[in-house]
Parts: sequence; C-alpha cells; structure tokens
Amino acid sequence: MAVVSTDALVAQVRARSGDDTARAATDNDAVDGVRPRLVAEPASGDAFAATLAWASSEQLKVMVVGGRTKLAWGTPSGPIDLLLSTARLSVVVAHRHGDLTTTIEAGATLASVNATLAAHRQWLPWDPPWADRATIGGIVATNDSGPRRQGFGAPRDSIIGVTMVRIDGEVAKAGGIVVKNVAGYDVSRLLTGSFGCLAVVVTATFKLAPVAPASRTVEVVLGSLESSADVVADLSASALTPTALELASTSAVTQLLVRFESVEQAAAQQAAEARDMVGSRGTSRILAGGEETVAWEQHAGHWSPSAGGTLGTLLKVSCVPAELIPTLVWLRTLAVSNGLEMSAAGRAGLGVVDLRLDGSLDAQARLITELRERLSIGRGSAVIRGGDAALRQRVDPWGPIGDSLPVMRAVKRRFDPGGLLNAGRGPGGL
Amino acid sequence: MDTSFLTALERIVSADGIVRDDGELLTYETDGLVKLRSKPGVAVLPTSTAQVQGVVRLCHESGVPFVARGQGTGLSGGAMPHPDGVLIVMTRMNRILEIDLPNRRITVEPGVMNLDVSKAVAKDGYYYAPDPSSQVICSIGGNLAENSGGAHCLKYGFTVHHVLGAEAILPDGELVHFGGAALDAPGLDLLGVLVGSEGTLAVVTKITLNLLRKPAAVQTLLAAFDSTEAAGNAVSGIISAGIIPAAVEMMDRLTVEAAEEAVHPNFPKADAILIVELDGAEADVTALFARVEQVCTEAEAREIQVAQTDEQRARFWQGRKAAFAAMGRVSPNYYVQDGVIPRTKLPEVLGRIQALSERSGLKIGNVFHAGDGNLHPLVCYDDRVDGQADLAQDVASEILTYCLDAGGSITGEHGVGADKAEHMPKMFSESDLDTMQLVRCAFDPNYLCNPGKVFPTPRLCGEVPGPYRRHPAEAAGLAERL
Repeated sequence: MAVVSTDALVAQVRARSGDDTARAATDNDAVDGVRPRLVAEPASGDAFAATLAWASSEQLKVMVVGGRTKLAWGTPSGPIDLLLSTARLSVVVAHRHGDLTTTIEAGATLASVNATLAAHRQWLPWDPPWADRATIGGIVATNDSGPRRQGFGAPRDSIIGVTMVRIDGEVAKAGGIVVKNVAGYDVSRLLTGSFGCLAVVVTATFKLAPVAPASRTVEVVLGSLESSADVVADLSASALTPTALELASTSAVTQLLVRFESVEQAAAQQAAEARDMVGSRGTSRILAGGEETVAWEQHAGHWSPSAGGTLGTLLKVSCVPAELIPTLVWLRTLAVSNGLEMSAAGRAGLGVVDLRLDGSLDAQARLITELRERLSIGRGSAVIRGGDAALRQRVDPWGPIGDSLPVMRAVKRRFDPGGLLNAGRGPGGL
Repeated sequence: MDTSFLTALERIVSADGIVRDDGELLTYETDGLVKLRSKPGVAVLPTSTAQVQGVVRLCHESGVPFVARGQGTGLSGGAMPHPDGVLIVMTRMNRILEIDLPNRRITVEPGVMNLDVSKAVAKDGYYYAPDPSSQVICSIGGNLAENSGGAHCLKYGFTVHHVLGAEAILPDGELVHFGGAALDAPGLDLLGVLVGSEGTLAVVTKITLNLLRKPAAVQTLLAAFDSTEAAGNAVSGIISAGIIPAAVEMMDRLTVEAAEEAVHPNFPKADAILIVELDGAEADVTALFARVEQVCTEAEAREIQVAQTDEQRARFWQGRKAAFAAMGRVSPNYYVQDGVIPRTKLPEVLGRIQALSERSGLKIGNVFHAGDGNLHPLVCYDDRVDGQADLAQDVASEILTYCLDAGGSITGEHGVGADKAEHMPKMFSESDLDTMQLVRCAFDPNYLCNPGKVFPTPRLCGEVPGPYRRHPAEAAGLAERL
C-alpha cells in the first residue's frame, strides 16, 4: 500500500469515474482526528461500483460518508485510505404517490426528500435530528429516528428495498418497490442499522405516509421525573393514538410532549382526551400552529450543540417501556453523585431515550459501566452515539451484544472478508 | 436412515417424541401446498429448547439435513420434508411463557397458534396484529418463518414489525438470542433477516411479540361496484385522500359467488366488492369513515352496506376469509396464486389476467388485499381432465410474470418455499441471489437447514469449517461451490 502515492490513487479514481470525482484529503476530511488519504465522490451507482471494485483490489480501507452528522458515533476509526462520499447521489428517483412509495438515492438529505414528497402531501415519516443535513443513506445506516417513531416506526419499518454495492464492486438489490413482498431474504433490513459495514446502499425504496392535515401537541409539565411514570403508562395503555410521546427531563424541569396528527376535529379531540387523562398530575396545555412548532424546535435542542459549541456525550438508553422512568431516576442520582450534568429526551412510550452527559470522562465511563450492569441483555442497552473519541476509546460504545455476536461476525466476514468497509465501525465493532 | 443416528435421536426426544413408522410419516409429507410431497426420513416432536438443540446438534455432527415445521399450513412447500432428513415438528412447544402487559409484550413458544396469542390478552384489551387467514390453525413459529401478513397489514405491517425477540438454535446447534423485549438491541438486525427466511437460517424456539391496544373504534363497510376498475378507483381515491385503512379487500364476481354458496354472507351480486375497514381512536374513525363512504359513492358504488354490529362485521369478514376454500364449490380444483403489484397497476394487470383466462379457457377468480396490491388469483381447473392441472400451473406461473412486468413480486405472503424457487431468477439477478447466499452461508455453511427452499440452484459456501468434504449434492453434480 505504502508504495502507491496518494496522487497516483487519486489519478486512478479519476480514470474510473471522472476528473472531478476524487481529490487528496485535507484536515477537514478527518474523522475522529484521522485523516484519510483521498476522498472520492462518485456521481452514479455505476461509478460507485467501479470505485469500490478498484478499492478492494487495492486493499484500501474504505469509509463511507453522507451528511457527516453521525461520524462521532460508534467505535473511533482506524486508518482510512479512501473516504467515499454519497454527496452526488442525491436524486429522488421516483415518487409513486398512488402507491405511497418512493425510491431515493442515498446522498439526498431527509429535508430535501420530504420537500419533494410534499407536492403530493406525502412524506417519509421520520424526524431524526439534523434532517437538513442527514442523508437517507446515513439515516438508514444508523436506523436513526425521532419523536414520530411512536407513530410511524423506525427506518427499518419503512424500508422495502435497496440497491447496494458490495465491497467487491458487485451491484445487488434486495426487496423491491412494493410494500408487501416476501421473496428472498430481507437484506434491506439487515443493512438498516449496520453502520455501512456490510455494503454501501446507493438507492433505497420506502413506503410513505400521508401528511396529516392537522396536528395538536399536549405539553405536560410535571413536578418530577418520578411522577411522569404513571402519566406515560396511562397514555400508553389508552386507546389514544399519539404520533409522538416524548419525555424531556433536565435537573430543572420534566415535561412530556404528546402529539396527535389527523384531520382537524380528530387531532383536537384526541388532544383534549389526553389532557383530561393527565388531569391534575401536571400542568398541561394544548399547542397548535406556531406555538406547537416552537415547542418541538425547543425539544430538538437536546440534539443541538450547546452555547459552548459541543454536543457532549449522547448515550442512547433503551429498556422495556415500563422500566424507562425508574431507570432514569436511578441514573439521575448516579449522575449527581458522579458530578455529571445529565438531561434526557426521547421516546417515553417506546423506552428509548438519548441522555446528554457533561462532565469528566472518567465519571461518564463509570456511569455507563454501572448502567450496563443494571440492564440485562435483551431488556435494555446503553450505546454511546456521539461524543469524545477518548471516551469511545475508553468504553466500548456498544456494550455487550450477547450470544449472537459470532453470527454477526460471520455475516460481516461473508460480505467483507478483507475487513475493508467501514472497518470496526459496525455495531459491536464489526 | 442410519440406525445409530436414529437411536441417538430417540435418546434426545424419548420414544414418544419420534416418528419412524412409514405410515405415520405420511402425515407429514406435505404442508398446505399438497402438490409437493416428500416423506421425511424421520420426524421428531421436541418439547423443549434443549431437545431442539440436541436434535440440531446431532444433525450437524452427522451431516443430516433438517426441516422445521409448525402446523403445516404454509402454501409454498416451505415445510416440505427432506427425504433423507429429520423433520422437526414444533407443535408440542405450544406454551405461552410470559404475558407482560405493562410493557405490552408476550413471549411464546413457536407452536402457539396465532389466534391464541390474541385470545390470551383479549380480556385486557390487547391483541396481536398480524392476522393471516389461517390464524385459527397456524403457529407463530411458522408466521415468523414466512413473515406472515394478513388482511390488516396495510396499516399494521407484517410479522417482522411485531416480533421483538427470538431464541433460536443455529444450524450448528448453538443457542442464540436475537433482539429482545427492549427495542434497539445493539448489533446487526439479524432478527430482521431471520423473519421471513423460511426456516433456512435457524430453528426458532422462543419468540417475544409486541402487543397492541385494541382500537377504540372500528367501522367496516362493504361496497359493490359494476367493475373491478371502478372498485380500484375507489381504493385509489381513499389512499389519495390521505387515509390508511386498517384493511381494504377486493373480491371479483366469481369469488363473491363462491363465497355466497359456501358461507352465505349475503353479499350483493356485483362484479367487484370492496370491504374497507377503519380503526383507531373514535374521533379519527368517525371523521375518516364519512370520507371513505363519500369516495365510494363518487366511484359509483352501486350499493354500500355499513356494518352496524359486530355480527355484521364478522359476516363481511367471514365471506372474505372463506373465499379460498369456497372456490371448491364452483370448481373441482383450484390453484391459489400469490403475487404483488404496485396498487396503481391493478386495472392493467387484471386486464391481462382476464385475457389469459379467456385464452386458456380456465376460470380465474380474484381476491386481493387491494390496499397493498397483493393478488390472490384462484385458477380453477378439473384434475380429471387430462392436462388441465399442468395448464393451471402454467397459467398461475404466467400471472407471476405479469406481476414482475408491473414492478411487483412473486410472493406477498405465501413465501417462495419449494414452489417458487424456480421463479426467483425472474425477479432477482445472479448477483442479488449471491448476496442473499452470503447471509445463508454465515448462518448455515453446511447447507443442512431446510435445504432446497427459497433459492433455485443450491450454491455451496466456501470456507466450510473443518476438513473439506465434498457435499453429496456437489458430488452428484446438483450444486456448485460459491
């Protein structure tokens, strides 16, 4: 490897996919402080395939990037030869609005896709953080989601087909363009959440949802984190159908945001019923229009850098829904005793929240370790999604995977025998 | 089969858990697809995970293929036994292990019937969403293998959306766990690929399912139209109004007549009938149901009946769910096809099916999950007429090519199994199929777990652990090494 100069490598990519598709990397391209040797931005699926075929024949370590919003997730990168960007694959290939499906290139941002789909009052019903920059490929690779997962599921629930490029440059597809289809293995779902360690998704097909004409959000401010448990349990056990049931809790305040989206009358009525159900257990009001938008923007602040410019550590905590609040109460005490700032926001109805931690890395590492000891495999997990590379080096970002890890490794070996593709960044360090 | 192998097998499952008698084995030679038959070498009926593990491990060590089977209601020959292999019948593992209502979870053994899951939590106001037509007699293990759907999957999704965790025995006998009661278990989504793998990756021994709260309101209507095209327009109108019904089912004249003869649901005589069901919160259902009625009227429905009672709703569904079996009333034999098209291609594909019916001289009834474009053409034939069974088979195959031409799939819910493996190359390229094989090779490098299903030509995996042995299929020239 070392004998081939970076310039020569750049020239080889250009020869395959055009003059403006490759360049030597700069410090701006660094991932976790590691600077790749070159950057390629193929402009078509075929060019992607040709580049990957070449890269694997040269035994280059390849890392794939989209909007670069989640590069601080997972295990820190080792050396990278080729940073492969999906930036030029950004087209909505098809919007079959009569069939409620769409096929999209991986590099399109979620916001741009939903702007296109809005022409027919439909959307890809996801609202993960950073939608203006996060790409379809990156969201699929991380199976990331936001508040509306309560109503619409995660990307793994919407995906119905993919076209992928394997590390050997073979182009393959799985699934199709119809919502109901059981022909062959569901490789689309396998790739969703794989952190790009098996193959590169170049286009994907999803089922869509209609955009609801009306929305209401019930904002409930609670006296304590503890007191939110009963309210969440009651809402979850009710026949109400919220599209979001979010908790946001800091040392100062705990609140719930419960969203209903439907036709005007139904959204309003469900919101009123939810407010009645909360009763005197919290201070609640029903938000609509601009006020509602502001409330959700403020909620999204949990995933935005603070005034100091850093996001701190994002720790995704998952457990069975009824154990969520007790776990957070226990965590809060642990955080205080370790001198850590902690806030939590996320899917109260599903048992999945993101903690934001600030404070010494030693103390964070201790908290994460203790939390993992509390959660048994299958009933909960704590995954470091973002944060200081030093923390992610000290503590395994993934935590225990369980007895299926050998199978995951076997799958990785079959797809990428040389360990070249997003090496080490896959879940469990694949 | 080898006597020492059978003795070892009997030691694992005990004498009453093994079937060796040729006559008794005939019970298992076919699943719901009766045209494909193969008597297993031996059948076992394990009662515990440990027994399943023992059986699979023994098969692995002895190089004997094995096939897991639930209730045998599958319609693609996915549970067809291997003549030289072990059939692992899961029906005795039928306990509900844990009901956890605060978390809306239920954990069951694979032999539990689909409907029994919902029954177990009905009094508490919960249910399990996937509802294949065979739900009274099909097992959850089989549902997982096939990624079963049902009439209500338009809104609620398929088995893969409702299975949260599984305990399984890998083809080498290792016990592993995928997913769990909590969401987002770290790691690859192996559960997502295990579901729908048609029993070719592992034998599942325990399953954790998500439960849903029963909807507060349900409204169902039946609308009669003068053509399938008009009914199709109504479906388009509903979807473009931004409504996702719980179910939209269509039946054509032939299947309506058959259902009428069989279960007397008192459906109007019409060229097409739609059943549309909305469920959810009271306010939503009330508001949207009025819109659905309006759309049906605009699409020139000749008659609209709204179910006023649960009994009336049950009658609508009885007529629909009886459609397959009812074809026996109007035709000595029939072949149930399962294909999918983008919903908007319905008129075009129905036109082609109609022309095919006229050309072949065989009557073809049509039942669809119209909301998601899943067609179930019923090709009628008479086995007593020379060559007609083969003709029906050819006609059914041709319908699949129409589905593929329209951008659809060769199966929406019945699976590929042994029946449609030969059609896979029409839908997938060699590279697509090789990619799926990478998954299979990771799970089952020795090709012992339900071999011969899903994929057209067996491809052997490289890097088989242990000393290289020529696979019998390879030696016989029936397979090549990947």
